[in-house]
Amino acid sequence: MSRYFDIDDIIMEDEHSAVFFKVGANGVGLLDPSAETNRVEQGSRVELPFWLANELYLRQAVSVNVPPCFNLKTRREIQADAACVDLRSRCPYFYELGCKVAPLIGDRTIGSFLLYAFMNRFKDILSKAHSAAFAVAPRFLPLLTKEEMQLYEAACSSMTGFKKWRVGGSRFEKASILGKKKRSSE
Amino acid sequence: MAGQSDPSLSMFSAAEVEFLAEDEMVEIVPNLNMDTLNLICGDFGPFRPQMATSVPLWLAVALKKRGKCTIRSPQWMSVENLTQVLEAERDSPAQFQPLPFHYVEISRLLFDNARDDIPDMYMARSLIEDIRDVRFHKFETGLEKISSSTHVVKLKNLSAMEVNIVRPFFVRALQAFAKHDSPQMIHHQQDAMSSRQTHVQDDGPRRDLRRR
Repeated sequence: MSRYFDIDDIIMEDEHSAVFFKVGANGVGLLDPSAETNRVEQGSRVELPFWLANELYLRQAVSVNVPPCFNLKTRREIQADAACVDLRSRCPYFYELGCKVAPLIGDRTIGSFLLYAFMNRFKDILSKAHSAAFAVAPRFLPLLTKEEMQLYEAACSSMTGFKKWRVGGSRFEKASILGKKKRSSE
Repeated sequence: MAGQSDPSLSMFSAAEVEFLAEDEMVEIVPNLNMDTLNLICGDFGPFRPQMATSVPLWLAVALKKRGKCTIRSPQWMSVENLTQVLEAERDSPAQFQPLPFHYVEISRLLFDNARDDIPDMYMARSLIEDIRDVRFHKFETGLEKISSSTHVVKLKNLSAMEVNIVRPFFVRALQAFAKHDSPQMIHHQQDAMSSRQTHVQDDGPRRDLRRR
């Protein structure tokens, strides 16, 4: 419940994944674009957003497939060079979705796959975030997922805050009006 | 105590860290006659011309701005000492040299407000800049070593400002690692056996980011 109003959590739950209906369902034909009647047949494959798939899974109406961003192709790419994989275009909420979807599907390797991906991307990209803060538009920026982006921005903002403080002059400069008067009267 | 500027990150802004640093004591040589100041944080003075006394930095800066004292440059801010520290920082990639906890802030306050009291100010300033850069680079290379087995990071001799800069990133990174390494996410092959093992390991692997 603590994340009930979290906008990122809400957007993340909108990610689509394929499910198989274990039972036939009447009156929900709009879920399946290929349905000719207003009915989803047993065993049909339908793309559903995660929040709906999760609820149906809890009622044992569907079985959830691995979302496309955790497929074999992505895994191979991550293993080859984690830092260069464009995870944002695949799923901006890669890690969060992975955490939520892992208990639903029988695949137990997702957890360690997420950890592996995060660890390597952290090592290659994020650990340099503090000094990268001042390079002009780093090339890896559009590859980061939401979570990585937040980390990166945390590093950037604290570093810019510090630089601002360091080069900023005296904070009592507003009194320069007074200074001018004094100088002119001298 | 948390900073007021950004409650979500529970961090201080640089200006707030500077405010904290103003409580550090410095030695001044006043050129006015004034009785002891009885403040909540303590009694300072009495102030007699040419008699050195030690006061908090904020008081020293206030007096200095009114031309009522000269600030004695702290021992560690001498060019010889800073040169030594810089060399030591460069020579030992695995540890930070002991410096005052607020050295970044104190040096900036003194360079801004008491430039005529510090011998070799430009030299000292650039030395401190270099020291800070070297230290930060060390810290950054240390960040790469964080992994899922990092539960505790020991950072000795890191100063207030340096900690403050890396805090938001660091805390979130550790949180992310903790989340992805949680037992719910990582399933071991033999659940019963390995769960007992991980329990034992949990308080074991501590990584010294910088060993000292």
